[in-house]
Amino acid sequence: MKKKLILLLALVLTIVTGFTTLSSTTANAATDNSLTKVEKKGTLVMGTSPDYPPYEFQATVHGKSKIVGMDVAVGKKIAKDMGVKLVVKSMSFDSLLVALQTGKVDMVISGMNPTPARKKNVDFTHTYYQGGYSIVINKSDKGIYKDKDSFVGKTIGAQTGSTMYNESKKQTSGTTVKGMTSVSDLILALQSHKIQGVAMEKPSAQAYVANNKELAAIPSKFDLSASDTSASVAFAKGSDALVAKANKSVDQIKNQNLVNKNYLPAAGKYLKTNTVNTSMLHYWKAFLTGIEYTLIITVCSVFFGFILGVILALARMGQGGVVRTGLRWLATAYVEFIRGTPMMVQVMFVYFGLGLIVNLPALTSGIIAISLNSGAYVAEYIRGGINSVDDGQTEAARSLGMSSGATMRFVVLPQALKNIWPSLGNEFITLIKDSSIVSIIGVSELIFQSNIVRSDTYRGVAPIAVIMVLYFVLTFTASRILNYFERRMQHD
Amino acid sequence: MTKPIIEVKNLAKSFGKNDVLKDITEQVNPGQVIVVIGPSGGGKSTFLRCLNLLETPNSGEVDFDGQNLTTLDTKKVNELREQMGMVFQGFNLFPNMTVLENIKLAPMKVKGMDDAAATKRAHELLDQVNLDDHADAFPSSLSGGQAQRVAIARALAMDPKVMLFDEPTSALDPEMVGEVLNVMQELANQGMTMVVVTHEMGFAKSVADRVWFMADGYIQENNTPDEFFSNPQTDRAKDFLSKILM
Ligand SMILES: Nc1ncnc2c1ncn2[C@@H]1O[C@H](COP(=O)(O)OP(=O)(O)O)[C@@H](O)[C@H]1O
Ligand SMILES: [Mg+2]
Repeated sequence: MKKKLILLLALVLTIVTGFTTLSSTTANAATDNSLTKVEKKGTLVMGTSPDYPPYEFQATVHGKSKIVGMDVAVGKKIAKDMGVKLVVKSMSFDSLLVALQTGKVDMVISGMNPTPARKKNVDFTHTYYQGGYSIVINKSDKGIYKDKDSFVGKTIGAQTGSTMYNESKKQTSGTTVKGMTSVSDLILALQSHKIQGVAMEKPSAQAYVANNKELAAIPSKFDLSASDTSASVAFAKGSDALVAKANKSVDQIKNQNLVNKNYLPAAGKYLKTNTVNTSMLHYWKAFLTGIEYTLIITVCSVFFGFILGVILALARMGQGGVVRTGLRWLATAYVEFIRGTPMMVQVMFVYFGLGLIVNLPALTSGIIAISLNSGAYVAEYIRGGINSVDDGQTEAARSLGMSSGATMRFVVLPQALKNIWPSLGNEFITLIKDSSIVSIIGVSELIFQSNIVRSDTYRGVAPIAVIMVLYFVLTFTASRILNYFERRMQHD
Repeated sequence: MTKPIIEVKNLAKSFGKNDVLKDITEQVNPGQVIVVIGPSGGGKSTFLRCLNLLETPNSGEVDFDGQNLTTLDTKKVNELREQMGMVFQGFNLFPNMTVLENIKLAPMKVKGMDDAAATKRAHELLDQVNLDDHADAFPSSLSGGQAQRVAIARALAMDPKVMLFDEPTSALDPEMVGEVLNVMQELANQGMTMVVVTHEMGFAKSVADRVWFMADGYIQENNTPDEFFSNPQTDRAKDFLSKILM
């Protein structure tokens, strides 16, 4: 047991060090040709976390969901000045810098403050916007709270990983600071009185207050240096050429006051059109896309997971010979390892880690990760199923001259499958639900789409209720279909 | 003199420290019916399974049709197994297939026979074991006697040169033993070479050409049924017969 553990740890260490060396070499290699590389590609990929209006948010434009906001306008200007096309990629705020370091995106514009800690890992341009902080509260509490110091014994919320989060922790005493990934969740928590205030940047606070009559904004009175309230564009460490080029655009934006004059008003307009119709029916297309992707991910993962599961199960059952023993050991290690690590980590590892070697789209990464995960579980079901088939079946088939492969395929596996069908069905239904994990890398499945609808409509609960019903309809239908096939297989 | 179809030379097989077969040298001529009898646990099943290499012998040789099986590669062994049908005590029919599909599977997957030909042949064989009306039944709906007859038909579908039977009637209710033995007798009459492990002394007396008495890892006696039952040579056989015949 202990030996196994040490071996496993060694395996993890090799993988991790392997990837770190790889990532540092790619970063160094990119030093001087960073700008030429972008120009050659013809695209500048911008990473952003679109739940932070008016900086960046999802809006429905001509019936299609689109990322808009002042940061997108900044990104467009930078791309235009470089003579390339802007591509916007959305992901959670926490993932942005990793995505930058692993080359998933060329730059990050997401209302990000150039803090000293971040500067260690990435390079920033000059600031393009100087903001400040507000605290959003429920309007009914307006008399109670004045600024950050009024929350003694209460809870303030802030976006995890953001400057507000860190400063709220540092600069309040006796106040609990609660972190959540998305601002829409924080607003929901505020409205359901789980927390009493949400710290966020002034323009965002203004947008929320303007769009939700229940909310009010108060000044934060945080003691902040300029870098804490400013927003900059982040590039990968060492891409001096890119930063220099982008700085020219940023300086223009600053000198001509483009943010206040053009970008913010334009973003405000989206916010208005966005919140005109907040009925869930209006967003059926967004939910449909979510269902579509959830099903694509689930069906593909079940298919590949099953194939992988069969291969792993056979490898685990191989006996005799050096090759077979080696394969058996490998398969066993794989199954143990996958079952012993969280699926969320596996998804991030495939997207960001494997992404260092081959640049995989988020959907493909998600399907790969979930298939790899599912395969490990399916392998165990199949192994159990194969073991449950009487040895006499194999002997009868072999005595008829069938090869071991043919025996497995035509005699043992069909019976094994029948025995484990209920378990496989469960796995399928679990995957429908678990596929939601890929929302963290920005695949537009149901959870991701519901988050978009939530930040679009400023309605916290309704989209959650909708996807809950949708998930149930999906899983219930799936289990009916599986039961039907199970009954059809029962003839003995 | 005819050439033997099966020749066993100094065959030995052990499971760990358990020496089940110690040193067996015998031969079977084409058309012969051999009945193997002996006490339970004496290695009869193991011996039969060594003949078609379901068990790999530790040492010695099994020659089939002049070829030493123990030196052949897997593919050749598979090919030779086609020519040795085997019938098991527990039938081992494939429960997820109909009677017809049970019989058709190997001819189609191994010999590459087309569906029409395999179906035709399966019906002929079912006719031969008096079960053609059960072609579309699933094994779970058959009685033990019917299941064993289907198993015999399934083995015959590969057109084997030799049939191996491992206590084919031991798992059956007494009233069903007869229908299976009849099919076997019929097969013997047609000239099939058979090696039968059984406790049915009546069958041994009337159908067998030779009786092999097996105990303690050796073939202790090899004789005609008349000689063996009326005048057993070894004390081991005398003891066994006194217990079984009473
Ligand atoms: N696969 C096996 N592994 C270990 N021991 C076995 C195996 N098959 C048979 N044996 C042992 O070999 C001996 C002979 O068994 P078997 O050939 O079935 O005898 P019989 O058919 O004469 O009753 C028994 O002691 C049995 O336990
Ligand atoms: Mg036996």
